[in-house]
Amino acid sequence: MSPPPIVNTVNLVRIYQDGGVPVPAVRGVDLKVEAGEFVAIMGPSGSGKSTLVHMLGGLDARTSGEIWLDGSRVDTLSESAWALLRRRKIGFVFQFFNLVANMTVADNVELPALLAGASPREARERREYLLGELGLADRADAAPAQLAGGEQQRVALARALANRPSLLLADEPTGNLDSRNTRDVLRLLGEVHRDGQTIILVTHDARVASLADRVVSLLDGQIVDDGAVGPVRRRPRASAGDVVELRS
Amino acid sequence: MSTARASARWIRADLRARRGQALLTVLAVAGIVTALIVSVTLLEDGTNPWRGLFTESRGAHVWIHTGDAPDVTALSRLPGVAEVAGPYRTAPVTLTLEGKKSPVALRGMEARPPAVATPLVRQGRWLRPGDTDGVVVERSFAEALGLRIGASFPVTALNGASHPLTVVGLADTADQGFYPEWTPGLAWTLTSTLARVEPALGRSESVTGLRLVDGEDTLPAVHGAVTLLNDQIRRMSTWREVRAAMELDNRLLGLLLALFGVTGLVAAALAVANAVGGRVLTQTRDIATLKSLGYTRGQIFGLLTVEHGALGLLGIACGLVCGQLVAFFALDGVPLLPPSPLPLLLIILGTAAVVVVAAALPAWRGGRTPPLPAVPAAPPRGRLSRMARLALLVRLPPALVLGTRDAFTRRTPALLSIFGLAVPMMMITIGLGCWATLDDFLRHPERVGQAAALVVHPDKLPAEEAARLAAADPQVRAVYPGAEVSALEPEQTRTVLARALGTSAEPYPFRVAEGRMFAARGEALAGQGLLDLLGVKIGDRVRMTVGGTPLIVHIVGRVVEPDQDGEVLSLGMDTLAAKDAVPPQFYSLVLEPGADPAAVRARLLAASGEKLEVARVVNPADRLSVIRVVIVALIVVLSLLGLANLLTASALGLRDHALDLAVLKAMGLTPRQVAATLVTGTGLLVVLGVVAGAAAGASVVAGLVDLQGHTSGVGAGIGRAPSPLTLTVAVVVAVGAALLVALIPARRAARAQVPVTAR
Repeated sequence: MSPPPIVNTVNLVRIYQDGGVPVPAVRGVDLKVEAGEFVAIMGPSGSGKSTLVHMLGGLDARTSGEIWLDGSRVDTLSESAWALLRRRKIGFVFQFFNLVANMTVADNVELPALLAGASPREARERREYLLGELGLADRADAAPAQLAGGEQQRVALARALANRPSLLLADEPTGNLDSRNTRDVLRLLGEVHRDGQTIILVTHDARVASLADRVVSLLDGQIVDDGAVGPVRRRPRASAGDVVELRS
Repeated sequence: MSTARASARWIRADLRARRGQALLTVLAVAGIVTALIVSVTLLEDGTNPWRGLFTESRGAHVWIHTGDAPDVTALSRLPGVAEVAGPYRTAPVTLTLEGKKSPVALRGMEARPPAVATPLVRQGRWLRPGDTDGVVVERSFAEALGLRIGASFPVTALNGASHPLTVVGLADTADQGFYPEWTPGLAWTLTSTLARVEPALGRSESVTGLRLVDGEDTLPAVHGAVTLLNDQIRRMSTWREVRAAMELDNRLLGLLLALFGVTGLVAAALAVANAVGGRVLTQTRDIATLKSLGYTRGQIFGLLTVEHGALGLLGIACGLVCGQLVAFFALDGVPLLPPSPLPLLLIILGTAAVVVVAAALPAWRGGRTPPLPAVPAAPPRGRLSRMARLALLVRLPPALVLGTRDAFTRRTPALLSIFGLAVPMMMITIGLGCWATLDDFLRHPERVGQAAALVVHPDKLPAEEAARLAAADPQVRAVYPGAEVSALEPEQTRTVLARALGTSAEPYPFRVAEGRMFAARGEALAGQGLLDLLGVKIGDRVRMTVGGTPLIVHIVGRVVEPDQDGEVLSLGMDTLAAKDAVPPQFYSLVLEPGADPAAVRARLLAASGEKLEVARVVNPADRLSVIRVVIVALIVVLSLLGLANLLTASALGLRDHALDLAVLKAMGLTPRQVAATLVTGTGLLVVLGVVAGAAAGASVVAGLVDLQGHTSGVGAGIGRAPSPLTLTVAVVVAVGAALLVALIPARRAARAQVPVTAR
């Protein structure tokens, strides 16, 4: 029996109320994402792609439908239960980085690990590892405002990965970056994906989406196209050797 | 536990980012707790030395002054009487030190200290059988005159004979209040010495103390004593008067501090709530980020409450320490009992509750921040109102118009800011009003019933001669004969002061606050304290016993009476029986405006060949000068509170309009105009708050001072609002300082590169 998909949504609907007028943002989305998949969600502005990932991370409440995460139903969770779930299973990367302005880079990255119950030593080791991997080891004591946009987004990525989440949600992670930084961030996303990380990435940029295994196109809150880019690769997480295959 | 570690990181980082504001919160709360603790210490009996002295000396609850020695056995059988002290023979003598004469009650004692109402020797020693020239002096009296052990104590008896005595000891007592509030000063000597100084029994009196089983219940014993001794009683006092005499000034100060403390607490709560609320608004994105990382609503609430509440608690801890220190140093020399734990606990818990609630309410709102950081927390937008468009049309500076509009984009925080500035400003105005009242005391003593600047006692000259000399001085406008006698109100079993000054035809210029001046024999004026004591009102007739003679007076008015807790009956000399009024005991001199009392005093002394005794009248404001220190300290604390509110308002304004800055610049506003827009936004709130606070303060201050005057017996009619000039200066200084403080971040923001991100 195959393991349950990491993400499974059933007829997911989100309707905003704008001055009493219902505005549907997501209209009946069925989406399955298997472990280790890298899914790009594409669509024009207002197609509901950001709303969709926010609902997957519990930042926004669904109007109707079901959300299953790692085999358990989560759309019925309370706000607090979602928060606890996010600590362990979900990492977020946002367009505007959303680093805590008053905290140093190191504290920003260690915060989720501490929140999830790691000891200060474990959190520090994990942070040193991540920042080292992302080439930011020497900026650990800097304030976020002192970093360039690309560097900030790399810190945000390190923070999102601090707790080894089952699912990495990236909402327009390159939307605010120049092309060089975009390339850097995408290369990093590719690397963590190769290490087995499941990623759902929202973008309106086809070049960014081309990096993914699979591209889901949304229009007016509905999936209009769901296609794999190349053969669907389904691999056990973090198995060695796959890197070669991906690079080919 | 895990959240605690993460939260600690956040709190540390956040506090580091806003050290100044955090420090302000701590200081403001500390200042208020200090004020509250000092006020409790002052209001409690802890600072009133009476309690300690009375217990230590096993004091007598009632003191009876009689002509001859009373029947001690009969007195000790009175209901409720446990023990009897005395009777002690006491003679009035005059102490002459460096030309200054002070009346002294010289009391004859045995070499063995008594078991009841024991004088507590603090320095030197008690009298010994061989001390024929030794005298033990009451400590406050000795301190006022600068007497030390071994100092000479030359006294003159009524027959004019001088006796050189020597101070052998200083002692505390609960028999009477401190000098100079309570005169004459008290000194103890051996009975043999007293017999030598004043051989005539008729010129001395007998003093007997009654120690009661239950001090609260003095009436049966007092009634019994009055019935038993009847005509012999010259004067009586109970422990309540002694206690009141010892506590008067502390109490007023304590009440003032309590008023400032409690209102300051409200202001502090507002400041904390504003600070946390402003912080939550400016940190909406960070809080949302924390939520996206896995903070729950409750944890955000806890995080914010702990951070801001902890600052308040730190302030409380500092205030506790400061309060003890201030109380210790301010009451230097007074045997201080620590304040009892209950009020202290109440202050700590009350302040803590207020601070935590003030922090928790906005923190709760912070907890409800949606976890979607992308949603911008933009202020509610509004179109330019018609007023604003009209203002722009008539070419008012655009910075002014835009700033005015910005000030109210967030209604509730704007109102909270105004209120948060108005409350400290109101208290500052009240403080200035107290100051003005004190100034008024000094500048116009006649308004507090002290028209006379000098009091002349004929001493060695005939009374007529003294009056003639005084009237002859060119700067003396009027001379009023006067006499002070004790009046006994038998039903009330209390002795009050009856002060006769001037005559019905030519009355002394009393400050009549209600009713009218006495104009005929048998009419009198009363202080508020006396009206309250007797439970009478203007127009009533009261039967008093003055020097053994019944006297029925018609109270026709109320005077402002700063002495004796207002328990003074003022009347004309012609109303008194001749034996009390002729010759006058003293003359009160009203001087020409601008005359220097010291110069007149010197001239009078010279003219009489030093035979007159001329004393300057002590202004009550001189006793209350410590209040000025308190007012200054409180103004500092309140300014801190106002500053805290101002910083919040300024930060919030900057944050709300950070995005607009680029637009404003694009529209063609110069950096200076941009800064002016931001300053106007904050400044308008400041002006509204400061003006509202000053107006509120000025309208209530006179009433508040009068209320205090009423309860302390002085009586209403002394309160003064600060002068328009003072008030204007205070408002201008407050607004000016606020604008300067607001200008610094505004200029920085106007010059800074406008950020491209949504932040």
